[in-house]
Amino acid sequence: MTAADPVIEIEDAYTAYEGADRPTLQGITLSIRRGEFVVVGGPNGAGKTTLLETINGMLPITHGRVCVCGYNVKGDGVPVRCRVGYLLQNFSFDPLTPFTVGEVVMMGRYGKIGLFRKPGPEDREAVFRSLTLLGISDLADRPIGQLSGGQQQKVLLAQNLARNPEILLLDEPFSNLDIFSREAINRLLSRLAGEGVTVVLVSHAFDDLPDRPVRVVVMMDGRIVLDRESAPGSVAAVIRGASGIHA
Amino acid sequence: MLEFIIQNNIVCHAVEAMLFASVACAILGVIITQIQISSIGFTMAHAAFAGAAFGMFLSLNATLCAIAGGVLVAFLIGPLSDKARVSPDTALGLLFGISMAIAIFFIAYMQTLGRGFSAMGLLFGDVVSLYREEVYLLAVICIVAILFVAVLYKEICGIIFNKKIAESVGIRVRPIYYAMLFVIALTVALCLPIIGGLLLYVWLVTPAAIALQFCYRLSSMFILAPVVAAAISVSGALAGLEYALPVAPLTAVLFSLVFVVAVALSPKRRVTFRKS
Repeated sequence: MTAADPVIEIEDAYTAYEGADRPTLQGITLSIRRGEFVVVGGPNGAGKTTLLETINGMLPITHGRVCVCGYNVKGDGVPVRCRVGYLLQNFSFDPLTPFTVGEVVMMGRYGKIGLFRKPGPEDREAVFRSLTLLGISDLADRPIGQLSGGQQQKVLLAQNLARNPEILLLDEPFSNLDIFSREAINRLLSRLAGEGVTVVLVSHAFDDLPDRPVRVVVMMDGRIVLDRESAPGSVAAVIRGASGIHA
Repeated sequence: MLEFIIQNNIVCHAVEAMLFASVACAILGVIITQIQISSIGFTMAHAAFAGAAFGMFLSLNATLCAIAGGVLVAFLIGPLSDKARVSPDTALGLLFGISMAIAIFFIAYMQTLGRGFSAMGLLFGDVVSLYREEVYLLAVICIVAILFVAVLYKEICGIIFNKKIAESVGIRVRPIYYAMLFVIALTVALCLPIIGGLLLYVWLVTPAAIALQFCYRLSSMFILAPVVAAAISVSGALAGLEYALPVAPLTAVLFSLVFVVAVALSPKRRVTFRKS
């Protein structure tokens, strides 16, 4: 697959949550190439998280086609999810959660390892590498429930990086993070995009976006209302303009 | 199996049954408490109870009917909450109520027919009148529970950690979750005649709750919970038979006492501060 080939292809897709009266995403068409850095914006309830979960094959597609990494998501989402990292928004863990940071990061590889097989040296190496990338290797043996919200956020990001994803779907990755961590993660995401990892990011913290041109996709009421390249520093203005929201 | 240590056949069968039942319940109890589906275990226990009461009324095999009751509830929870548009909690409440109503109806009806005593054994358990085959069946379910956790350990960990995250990393959550419910239903149904429908919940929840007081890792919980459950259950069986006390209720009280001591001794509640 070359850099010009799309890794995410969505054609006229409609998706709905179970029991919902109407589709949450309506007639979405989107093509994202390998190594692209895409920022998805829009008001609350616009369908941003739904778009990420549709790409990841976690929602039923009622109409249209979603192809990710060459797999049709509608048929079987599991091979897709083994290749795609998805950081969910607003997670916090009970202090008594009986898992250490190392165990949680290793979970990111479980889909790749497959049923009835144990993690091997390659998996442990991937876990160590992603912990080091996030600067949290010293927390490996700590129970996750005893960490701060920001540290837990980094652990979940490390979990996603541990499976060497071709695509990273990030839902509010900067929530709970201090300014130094935001800058470090921005640098990391820019580097990953440069190495060919496709990054699709939903965020409301537009001041913390990387210092590089990004593709901005704005959503309203389950539809894409704008899709264009944007210079660094102007993402917030582009999204506000497209959403009809003025400061 | 343990005849070389315990010569008395009745005591030997009782100890073996309590050992296997407690280990199976404790292992699955770790999953139940950590996924926070204790109410599913509770409802399954009562559905198995209703199934057994129904089976006794029709002079069918009570154990098979108990298994059918537990499994039926396991597979009704999901569809009922989806189709009836109610929360899983409400679905469980409905199934629990229906199970109890069925069980009480048949027990009451059997009492009017003068057959109530045999059904009452299902409420409080009976370790004295066990056949060798029943003990073997418990040994089998104990091995099934251990193998289930050993073989699917990483998938179970993922589901316990968070079902949505587990799905997002590529674990096939739904079939494993249903397999989990099936093994729980099977275990609950087979343990019902020994422990009793009213006390089974203690075996499912308390060992895991005791282990959680000391363990920071799930793997440690899967070892400590069955060890504690086996020790308490065997002690309860021996003490109950020695002093002619009801075995299952006595063991349930022992579980509760150990839990209180565990909470008091738990390092997780200790606050330590050292000034350097």
